[in-house]
Amino acid sequence: MTKSKLINVLIGKSILETMLVATIAVGFYINAFPPFFHGWGEATSNAIVGWAVNNNNPVERVSVQLFVDGNFVATQSASLSRPDVSTAGWAQDEWHGYSFALPALGAGLHEARIYAVHASGNGTRRTLQQLGDPIRFAMDATGTMTDLAKPYR
Amino acid sequence: MLQNQEQPIEAISAKALALAEILSIIVSCLIAEWVFLSFFSLHRWLVIIPLTVALLFMVLSHLAYNESAYALGFRFDNFWSALRLLFWPTILAVVVILIIGWLLVGPPAVSRLLRPRLLLLPAWALLQQYALQGFLNRRAQVAFGKGAASIFVVGAVFAVLHLPNPVLTILTFIGGLIWAAVYQREANLLALAASHTVASISLVLALPLNVINGLRVGFKYFG
Repeated sequence: MTKSKLINVLIGKSILETMLVATIAVGFYINAFPPFFHGWGEATSNAIVGWAVNNNNPVERVSVQLFVDGNFVATQSASLSRPDVSTAGWAQDEWHGYSFALPALGAGLHEARIYAVHASGNGTRRTLQQLGDPIRFAMDATGTMTDLAKPYR
Repeated sequence: MLQNQEQPIEAISAKALALAEILSIIVSCLIAEWVFLSFFSLHRWLVIIPLTVALLFMVLSHLAYNESAYALGFRFDNFWSALRLLFWPTILAVVVILIIGWLLVGPPAVSRLLRPRLLLLPAWALLQQYALQGFLNRRAQVAFGKGAASIFVVGAVFAVLHLPNPVLTILTFIGGLIWAAVYQREANLLALAASHTVASISLVLALPLNVINGLRVGFKYFG
């Protein structure tokens, strides 16, 4: 081993370590935040409803959480009937829907976000991934909601 | 004429190479601490990958520099003279650690001596001292020469590798300076490992776990 060869080894070691760290980073990201969740949500007159599918495992019932105005509201398994999901080809069966009844929020504008819950690392980690866009809605004094989404949505 | 032109380039290259080697080993250790031990908490044994890469590189480097195990400090002939140099600093460190621990939480927790992990401490201390002195100190001497600058580099590197644990970072900086200075006078890794082992045991016995945070470093320190 000469010092000129040592320089080559040093460069090789640096490349190897860079690739190793990059592989771990990408692997960890895919493991913690798998890009397989799809879903959509909207506000009806009295609830936030929608659907969620894990494309990597379409028979799984995705656990979803609702946050309104940044605050956690509730969690449930998306397992209600949504025939449009299977019709559109997102899943083979229709049991991927969810429906959250909302607590009293007060009159005014609000924003709801639906997240898919994913466990990784043998349950040592749980991550949330937003499904679809934030749902903006107005609530009047009687507690009736109106989805403020634009028509093309 | 050609030789005269090459000599300064050779000198600069030797320094640059030594610094690059130091940096490379620091990166390997940081990858082990901050990446492998953090992201593979269920398969910690995988940390052997970056450590083996670093160890292999150090061995190849010793071959390139024609350094023998004897020259690195794996020897007995100067063991007692090295130990004499280390004796008072080590005793002083142990006494200070014991007093601080006593003031914080009372007498040392001798029951912690029963931990099986402590049996591995001498070997772990020898491995650390080999990397720190047998490799980093020697390359720091190539880059900065014998003396304060290279000793400071060794202490700083040892401290950086114990971030973000504040207590360990400070203690390892001081310990790194002392051990590096002794190594430059008497290159004996066995005596250094003995001193390292005694200092580590006194830390584990005397200081409360919330102060040393289970000797955790890297991302593990936070969790």
